[in-house]
Amino acid sequence: MRNLFSFLIRHHVFLLFLIMELIALQMVIQTHAYQHSRLSTSAHNLSGGVLKSFQNAKNYLSLKKINNLLSEENSSLKNKNSVLLKRKINPSSYTSSHQYISAKVIKNSFNKRNNYLTINKGSIGGVKNGMGVCSALGVVGIVRDVSPHYSTVMSLLNKKSIISARFSDSNHFGELLWNGKSYEFAQLHSIEKYVPISGGDSLVTNSFSNIFPDGIPIGSVNRFERNESENFYSIEVDLHVDFSDINYVYIIKDPQKFERQELEKKYE
Amino acid sequence: MNKLIGYIVRLLILTAFQIFILNNLQISGYLNPYIYILFIMLLPPKLPKPFVLIISFGLGFIMDIFSDSYGIHTAATVLLGYIRPKVLSLVSVKGGEDLEEIGIKHLRFGRFFTYAITLILIHHFSLFYLEAFRWNEFFDTLIRGFTSGLFSLLIILCIESIRSNSMIK
Repeated sequence: MRNLFSFLIRHHVFLLFLIMELIALQMVIQTHAYQHSRLSTSAHNLSGGVLKSFQNAKNYLSLKKINNLLSEENSSLKNKNSVLLKRKINPSSYTSSHQYISAKVIKNSFNKRNNYLTINKGSIGGVKNGMGVCSALGVVGIVRDVSPHYSTVMSLLNKKSIISARFSDSNHFGELLWNGKSYEFAQLHSIEKYVPISGGDSLVTNSFSNIFPDGIPIGSVNRFERNESENFYSIEVDLHVDFSDINYVYIIKDPQKFERQELEKKYE
Repeated sequence: MNKLIGYIVRLLILTAFQIFILNNLQISGYLNPYIYILFIMLLPPKLPKPFVLIISFGLGFIMDIFSDSYGIHTAATVLLGYIRPKVLSLVSVKGGEDLEEIGIKHLRFGRFFTYAITLILIHHFSLFYLEAFRWNEFFDTLIRGFTSGLFSLLIILCIESIRSNSMIK
């Protein structure tokens, strides 16, 4: 027993180091297990508040640009609205009932290997874990952690982000990943070689993953290669969203998500 | 007592500089400087080692909270705090026991440079490899750690030379 104590005392610095390092690594590893509530996120009220007031000051300087963007979006929505009004819709044939919650980005990063955004709506505003997030221009990411007033969003620019995407003019689909190089481009995988594609083809979301509704723009094909030794194309996608400049986003809420999940669970 | 207040002010300035300015500095994925570790590097050598570890843990944890990085800053900074006395013994004869404080003024430029670059690279490499968390981006991460480390070194040397100059006056 005395030996044990003397051992502990002699090596107390190393043991303390070991314990702390294990706690830290435990936190790192926990994030690789999918969706846990975690201790250290900027969704916390304290750090969320600090970051928000900093972002407020920053936003004041870019008000003009935001105004332009909003008015552009407004006009495009008006256009769509008028088209829809002309077309007589039979409500029973169109059952997609997605709702949009708007939120402001209070923290953004885009040049790390794993990027997250923090937004100013939380569980009180109706945000839940796993909802899709898009901006006026296209897909941004997926809600990861939620606190009462804030949420963190796993950006598309993250090595854990996988988004199902299809070509807007055909139904061939693949998965969109990010290789960590440039925030302007993502990579589309699993498109078979026989599919005819050309530069500039536009990509949209599909509703397979139960996160995004069908048809939200993602980007366009920038470059593609046909590697003889593989069965798939390697495609570089030019993202519509400028991740260095995101101010307002929409969180997509699907009231029928639970119903669909329950139904699909039967086969798993 | 005055010294303690000085250290707290230094901690606040460095963390604020890191969180509000450097974390928002989005030049390129290869240039992410982390200069908050200067606080750990400048702690007095006579401070008991367990204290250094606890301070490192706390500082790393704060950085994790503000950058959504889930433990990688904590792990890298605790490693830094543990390895600091060993690096210190590389650059001074008695393992830093003879020094009251660490700085360009106390160590001279050459030895401070060695001390700083060793600790910065250890911290940055562990940080970037934990962030990537996979080996198939080995070389990319290596370049990331190296370029960011050199950038941090540049900023840290600037801060440190300004600090030691103002202390002489």
